[in-house]
Amino acid sequence: MEKPLDELVRLQGVGMVYQSSRDGERVEALAGIDFSVRRGEFLTVVGPSGCGKSTLLSLIAGFAAPTSGSVLFEGRPVDGPDPARGVMFQEYALFPWRTVAGNVEFGPFARGVDAATRRARAQTLIDLVGLKGFERRYPHELSGGMRQRCALARMLANEPTLWLMDEPLAAVDLQTRIILQDELLRLWGDARAGAQRPTVMFVTHGIDEAVLLADRILVLGRRPGRIKEVLEVDLPRPRAALRGSAEVARLTAHLWELIRDEAAQAIAEETQ
Amino acid sequence: MSRAGARFGAVALPLSGVAAVVVVWEVASRLAANATLVPPPLTVWRAFAAMQGSDLPADIGASLLHLAIGYGLGVGAGLALALVAASSRALEAIVDPFVEFLRPISPIAWIPLAILLFGVGRAVPVFLIFYASMFPIFVATLDGIRRVDARLIHAARSLGASRRLVVTRVVLPAALPSVIAGARLSLGVAWMSLVAGEIVGGDAGIGWRILWYQEFFQMDRVMAAILIVGVLGLGADLLLRALQHLARRWNPAAAESAA
Ligand SMILES: Nc1ncnc2c1ncn2[C@@H]1O[C@H](COP(=O)(O)OP(=O)(O)OP(=O)(O)O)[C@@H](O)[C@H]1O
Ligand SMILES: [Mg+2]
Repeated sequence: MEKPLDELVRLQGVGMVYQSSRDGERVEALAGIDFSVRRGEFLTVVGPSGCGKSTLLSLIAGFAAPTSGSVLFEGRPVDGPDPARGVMFQEYALFPWRTVAGNVEFGPFARGVDAATRRARAQTLIDLVGLKGFERRYPHELSGGMRQRCALARMLANEPTLWLMDEPLAAVDLQTRIILQDELLRLWGDARAGAQRPTVMFVTHGIDEAVLLADRILVLGRRPGRIKEVLEVDLPRPRAALRGSAEVARLTAHLWELIRDEAAQAIAEETQ
Repeated sequence: MSRAGARFGAVALPLSGVAAVVVVWEVASRLAANATLVPPPLTVWRAFAAMQGSDLPADIGASLLHLAIGYGLGVGAGLALALVAASSRALEAIVDPFVEFLRPISPIAWIPLAILLFGVGRAVPVFLIFYASMFPIFVATLDGIRRVDARLIHAARSLGASRRLVVTRVVLPAALPSVIAGARLSLGVAWMSLVAGEIVGGDAGIGWRILWYQEFFQMDRVMAAILIVGVLGLGADLLLRALQHLARRWNPAAAESAA
């Protein structure tokens, strides 16, 4: 058997130009991205607003094709979405006409898993993310944090190799966020040293979050979006114990140094 | 207002409106020189009661049959066309001009042609209803499909859904409230076309009966028949409204704004 590739995702000279259909205006969202995502790593992606983080994720998810360069997943070019690449969106994107159980079951259902198996799997995941007792609720009956747990369970139901997460915790309050960070780490396998973990690409605006969760941090700059820096986070796991520690604070300060100027610029341009 | 108060108002306000209309009507018919031309409410009520034993059930049955066939075909065709137009920009570019051209033409304009083609009979009201009900549901469905949240489609695709599954399990449920709203609009114009079609080119039904009574100068029965048309139309709309409510149970905000 072939040895599994060390790199799960490879981006080669990736550029993305959006062309507005209304006025034909061109927006260069990404340019010259050369990067590899390592199998099993927890990669966080940070950068000022509008630098192309969501664009990067949607190219890997297969929702759009890059206008230049290539995106490879497990050595093959990405051509469209695939259940091996699970996605979690900032705004939940739950199916509002399906219950929690119905949402979580959707992936296995779409892939033709039989009813009994997918029910059982959905129930396991619902219990795992702490939504037991809410199976029959509709998304609009849930709090923001519960919706995000549901979206997480929905993504996990397909057992994807890669978790693409676009600011999944941005819309929940701080306390919920801390709890969900810990649960996310637990589900990923933070405490299982040496285990084969899923690969995560996690976009966030929270620089402390980016440090706390990550094995590596991909720092993007803007105009057009390009790689500014890649930081290794050599902190021991499990990470929950390091919350508020001096090492995390030091790295967070360093990360802030890197992005402060462009973040300020982005705000200035947005408020013009 | 309290909940009970609101519910009381929901019933009492329309009822008091109806009562006011009945009073004005009564006064008007008394002031009018000719009580045969403007029959008072009580006379109309008696006419209605007398019609029970006559052809009224058969007339209503005939009209409902016209409606069921014409509306069923029209809504089906409108839905199918909307799905076709939504499936590709090219197909939309072909279908849309036809719809935009035909839509503003009143169904009544087609009556002479329909009579020539089908002869006086059931086919004329059925055709008119079919024609009229096709457009509102087409427009509403296409609009509903266009406004489906792209993220939901992305989510479904990345969860492994085929294109067919995306249509049946994401696009259609997401567009369902628009589809039902369109079906309600279609029903309204269908009901109007039914009466027009039956009067001008039909040989049965409650609309056709209005003309019949008029020829015998039974204005009380004409009025009674008109009221029956109104009540039946209202009943059909209430049915669709209940359906709309059901379809939006997962979204109470949308249900409220639709009520
Ligand atoms: N579909 C689109 N059409 C046109 N321009 C787009 C489209 N999507 C994104 N853009 C533009 O591309 C640039 C990058 O957008 P993107 O959403 O990837 O940034 P982001 O880093 O995720 O921003 P944020 O932090 O605010 O979420 C922005 O200038 C945005 O306006
Ligand atoms: Mg984004």
